[in-house]
Amino acid sequence: MENYFDVLSALILFSSFVLVANKRIISYIRTFQLQACLIALTAGIMGMNSFLKEGKIDILVVCAIILILKVYYIPRLLRKTYAGVEYKVEKDFFLNIPILIFICCFLVLFAYFSVPTIGGTMAGNVNIQVVNSFSLVLIGFFFMISRKKAIGQIVGFLVIENGIFITAMFSTHGMPFIVDVGVFIDLITAVLIMGIMVTRINDQFETIDINQLKNLRG
Amino acid sequence: MGLIIWFLPLTLVFLSRVISNRNTLHLISASISGLMLLAAGFITNAVINNGVLNYNVFGGLFYVDSVSAIVLDIVILIGLLASIYSIGYLEHELAEGKITPKKIKLYYTFMYSFMFAMILALTVNNMGILWIAIEATTLASTFLVGFYGDKHAVEAAWKYVIICSVGIAIALMGIIFLHLSSVDVIEIASALNWHALLENARDLDTPILRLSFIFIVIGFGTKAGLAPMHTWLPDAHSQAPSPISALLSGVLLNSAMYAILRTLSIVNKNLMDNAFAGRIMVGFGLLSVLTAAIFILTQKDYKRLLAYSSIEHMGIIAIAMGLFTPLSVFAGLFHMINHSMTKSMLFMASGSILQKYGTREISKIKGLLTTLPLTGTVFLLGLFAISGTPPFSVFASELSVLTSVFKAGSPWLGAALIVLLALIFAGIAVTLFKIFYQQSKDLPQKDFAAKLEHNEQKLMSEVMRGETKITDVMRGETNKSGAVVLILLLVLITLMGLYMPVGLSDLIVNAQKIIIGS
Repeated sequence: MENYFDVLSALILFSSFVLVANKRIISYIRTFQLQACLIALTAGIMGMNSFLKEGKIDILVVCAIILILKVYYIPRLLRKTYAGVEYKVEKDFFLNIPILIFICCFLVLFAYFSVPTIGGTMAGNVNIQVVNSFSLVLIGFFFMISRKKAIGQIVGFLVIENGIFITAMFSTHGMPFIVDVGVFIDLITAVLIMGIMVTRINDQFETIDINQLKNLRG
Repeated sequence: MGLIIWFLPLTLVFLSRVISNRNTLHLISASISGLMLLAAGFITNAVINNGVLNYNVFGGLFYVDSVSAIVLDIVILIGLLASIYSIGYLEHELAEGKITPKKIKLYYTFMYSFMFAMILALTVNNMGILWIAIEATTLASTFLVGFYGDKHAVEAAWKYVIICSVGIAIALMGIIFLHLSSVDVIEIASALNWHALLENARDLDTPILRLSFIFIVIGFGTKAGLAPMHTWLPDAHSQAPSPISALLSGVLLNSAMYAILRTLSIVNKNLMDNAFAGRIMVGFGLLSVLTAAIFILTQKDYKRLLAYSSIEHMGIIAIAMGLFTPLSVFAGLFHMINHSMTKSMLFMASGSILQKYGTREISKIKGLLTTLPLTGTVFLLGLFAISGTPPFSVFASELSVLTSVFKAGSPWLGAALIVLLALIFAGIAVTLFKIFYQQSKDLPQKDFAAKLEHNEQKLMSEVMRGETKITDVMRGETNKSGAVVLILLLVLITLMGLYMPVGLSDLIVNAQKIIIGS
């Protein structure tokens, strides 16, 4: 069973590399959708496991929520927001793609060597799942600062959230159910609000380039 | 009975969608806030008498002890005063044509969602729900920060929602590690329960708990405005409508600090030593005070000045909590109360000034004491109070924090803190001189006509030389209900500086015992 999770966590990490390599907004929304599918699959396997062993359906419900929210609703919302803003295809990142990928590799290496030093339950043999999911969080942060467009920042935020979620899944088999549900409610509200803010930025600044947001200083 | 405090703000969120008469809405808002104050009084009374208030509903989720009661009372009190102030403020904005009646409805919806989220954060004993509630405060207040919808407000709101959401996501990572450190110790039914965590603190997995604390301090520290994660704070505080700035600064920052405090007691009990957590808290605290000192000295915008001063005071509170001695925790909690009241008063006064002059620039405010005699006086005394001048309450608590720093055996930290506080005092004093002692001969049109009849020649020559200008800034207070709030707060902070009621000091001592765990 653990082997499946190892593979899945590696695939999820790989999808974040694809995300960083994506040039256009539309394509990184699609990659995000793929990543969400993989996470739903992980939660599904874990949920079936706990259902068969202990008869609990908590994680299966969480899996269903992920399918509805992250695979279907949020990408749809992002596409709608994207369709609503004036946007020409232009360079969306500060560094070029090979350098971005290179830095991401460094982030994974950093996670690989730093996570085992924490000790505790991860002491001794390196828990590859936690390393992968922690790398995903780091790549999410990096994605956020490497993109210029506001929608890129939303996707970066979602990747961070994905990373945190699967870290919780792999290390503790999920948070208490009520907390998980609350986190999802917050997440969907956050994305809704950020979507509305993107539209407003576009109205006011006539671009969604967040580099233009530099009126307030000092 | 205490549960009513959850349902009152929710009622108003609902009513603000249904009722379209403005005046009714204002009235209901003020009276519901009043009822919330009564409920908070009831809860505080129960906490003083019984120690904790815990209802057996929603799985025993509702839980208030002395620590939460203190912060809860601040939230409710400032909430009530801000809602009264809002009436005059919003009516003025409406009359000026800056907002539409529809926006007033939205304002109340979001303001009370914001209040609900904060109250929820302070009345649950589950760290997970606490996290959810604090994230909800960000979401509810984003539209309030971007309320005016212009370029600056939208920029501030975007920075606010992105920086705080990411910051709070880091805190979620911390909460997950907190959960991970307790998996083998606490059964799943009471997972993340603060009380269970504290009771079993000794058995938690230490390395993971340490990691969790770092994530939690950075995450909630972002919301509490600790440097270097403070960058959203000056923007959001200066762009939000003034009553909301008062709530953000006086209330929201405390709620985030409260979350850090809860974790701090668990970590220190586990490590049986304060060195690890203390170093982190004092480091962030000192950096915040330093950052605030630099920006206050060069500040040109009075609302941003107040925002940086909030960073300074959160830094002082972080240092006090980091030292973790009985005296310092007591002083920190007392400082929390005093800072909230003084800062909300200042933000509300700044709102009236902004409405009068229409500018946030310090250099363009002239003759404040003649234009706005009452607000001007409150603003003047408030600036003295916030920079730590006796007899106001901020002086009393800052002095106790400093005393506790020296008593805890860190003279260098104390010395650094005193130097920085002196710098901040100088920065604020310069602002004071600019605003209050810059003589202005500017005359409103009506007064100009009256004076013209008296001595025409002298006045005309002054106008010719550019010494006297005719402005359209009229004299007199605009926000009558707001003026009452300002006076009330001024009286409160003066009295608190001279005398502390026995009930309050008992409450703070109990809270300090809960945090330190003796």
